Amino acid sequence: MKITSIRHVSGFDVARPVSIGMMLGIMLPLVLLPLLSIFVYGFGKGPGVFWSSLVAPEAVFALKLSMVTSFWATAFNVLFGLFAAYVLSRHDFWGRNAVIVTISLPTAIPTAVAGFALLLLWGKYGMIGRYFSENQQIMFTPYAIILANIFVTFPLAFGVIKPVFDTMSRSLEEASATIGATRWQTFWHVTLPSLRGAIVSGALLTFARAVGEFGSTILVSGNLAGRTQTAPLYIFAKFNEGQIEAANAIAIVLALLSFVIFSVLFFARDWLEFAQEA
Amino acid sequence: MIAKMALTPDRDPHVSWAPEREQSSGIAASVRGISKRFKKSRVLEDISFDVAEGESLVLLGASGSGKTTILRIIAGLEQPDSGRVILHGKDVTDLPARERGVGVIFQAYALFPRMTVEKNIAYGLKIRRRPRKERRETVDRLIKLVQLEQHRKKYPSQLSGGQQQRVAIARTLAYKPQVLLFDEPFGALDAQTRVHLRREIRALLRQVKVPSVFITHDQEEALELGDRIAVLNDGRLEQIGTPDDVYNHPATEFVATFLGAANLLIGVAVGGFVEIGTAKLPAEKETRRFRDGQSVKLVFRPEDVCVSQDANLPEGCRRLTNGVIEEVNFVGAYERLTVRLDLTHRKGDTDALYEVTINTPQKMTGVPIMVTRPKPEANALRYKTGDRVAIGLTSFSVLPNYTLARQR
Repeated sequence: MKITSIRHVSGFDVARPVSIGMMLGIMLPLVLLPLLSIFVYGFGKGPGVFWSSLVAPEAVFALKLSMVTSFWATAFNVLFGLFAAYVLSRHDFWGRNAVIVTISLPTAIPTAVAGFALLLLWGKYGMIGRYFSENQQIMFTPYAIILANIFVTFPLAFGVIKPVFDTMSRSLEEASATIGATRWQTFWHVTLPSLRGAIVSGALLTFARAVGEFGSTILVSGNLAGRTQTAPLYIFAKFNEGQIEAANAIAIVLALLSFVIFSVLFFARDWLEFAQEA
Repeated sequence: MIAKMALTPDRDPHVSWAPEREQSSGIAASVRGISKRFKKSRVLEDISFDVAEGESLVLLGASGSGKTTILRIIAGLEQPDSGRVILHGKDVTDLPARERGVGVIFQAYALFPRMTVEKNIAYGLKIRRRPRKERRETVDRLIKLVQLEQHRKKYPSQLSGGQQQRVAIARTLAYKPQVLLFDEPFGALDAQTRVHLRREIRALLRQVKVPSVFITHDQEEALELGDRIAVLNDGRLEQIGTPDDVYNHPATEFVATFLGAANLLIGVAVGGFVEIGTAKLPAEKETRRFRDGQSVKLVFRPEDVCVSQDANLPEGCRRLTNGVIEEVNFVGAYERLTVRLDLTHRKGDTDALYEVTINTPQKMTGVPIMVTRPKPEANALRYKTGDRVAIGLTSFSVLPNYTLARQR
């Protein structure tokens, strides 16, 4: 986009370099330098140290665990978000608005509270957990991490998919019905393709958020190295042990991953097509 | 860009896109006593009409007249409160939209944005799980029919409005619809494209022989597209007939004024005449259904008025009264006059052009009417403000003048 600005003074306008400089000056210590420092320190002792920290068994396990738990949380939340968005935009019922608000609630709840709440429900002495036998307990297992991820990322996919449903022209589905399609055929051939962009971006957002989840995970997982330690927990644990290089290597991987996800979301807008063509 | 579609006769005369039927009753679709309310407001009241095989019927009405609701009820997208929808002799009132086999061409065409032209057209057959070969052949023939051969791999967003409309029509023809329903098909287009496209569609429909129902609020469109026109007003069917019928013999005041311009005078039917003040119009045939002294409305079109400066009105023109030219406007294709009629001075059967002074600032009596004259006539004899003229009518309708709506 080409920006044109109004001339306020004749000759050289100092406001331009000063204002741009000020903006960057504020961003530098707050956002840019912290990110830069991860890379500076991470590679400070040479790529060899970085590599050996990265392939340490506990580190590999933590990364894998993060990916796997985030994947399942994302899969569940995208499917549920799609289903909930469909139900809420196609059927009117008493309490519909209350449900919409409730779905979005986890956004506002501190993650530590979320983790604590899950413990109270599923924990050994929790409301549901008490009915599970000793070896069926799910808290402090990878399943607990998935549950926590589902809770904190619950509204993300729904929040992206629902507006697309709402703005989608009803006449497309009506056309499909008059042509002879069943409800399911219409959903599969007409509705779903129009949601492709929203589903992909909803999934990326959910995944990005789940991979980085710390507050709720540390409460429900037990933070057991090599068993329930996710990548962010690994960073925290290694930092506490004073193993800066180990923490740093994983931090770099997580930062790069989020850059990739963010770039896809940002640059692939055209392909994702948030807006619906007529 | 508007793609040209030849208005040449049928190239493929043996292909009909209407569904195959063993015997034909001649009636493709009928609507029987449909009523519908939304919450408190009445949308449709006891609507009944038939669409004959191969016929095109236009539902004409202002927005809010209920025409879209009728279309949606026929399509099965809306349920009537009472009444039946019958397609080719089968009562489909309780069937869902997908089992009715009607083709709807939506206002914005509703083409599937993620499917190419080909895939849009093949959709109906794909859903019916027809073999691939049949699908391909049908699509090929339809793409040829609507002349989109070069565009078959394109997506709807890459097509012009007219091309999209043709895809929408082809998409419904693929499954041989019982009836085609067009929802304001030209609403989204500019005036020029509109005229062009409706000729195209008319030609296409003659070729495919599928009965169709159009809805529109545009009277010109209705006259051009419809074999018959049904005029709707506020949920009621005012009149249904051929364009000639509806235009020249409007059954109600609404029809007369909605379909083209009309002048309206209130008078009394007396002994084969319509008396409006002192003016007397011979109307033996037109007043036959009224009793003497009944209040009537005289409705006539601006182009059915003849104007003469020497009291000699042309043949077939019945003398109404005299008047004074109040305004002369040239409006392109014709000339428009505003004439103030004398309804108080005329005495007896005076034929001569008597003195009328009805538009002086002191005395504004008389009733203004609108008159249009074709260009040649207007050029041959120019009128100016203040000219006295004799006024006659070549054609008019006499309608009952109900004072209460419930007397209708």
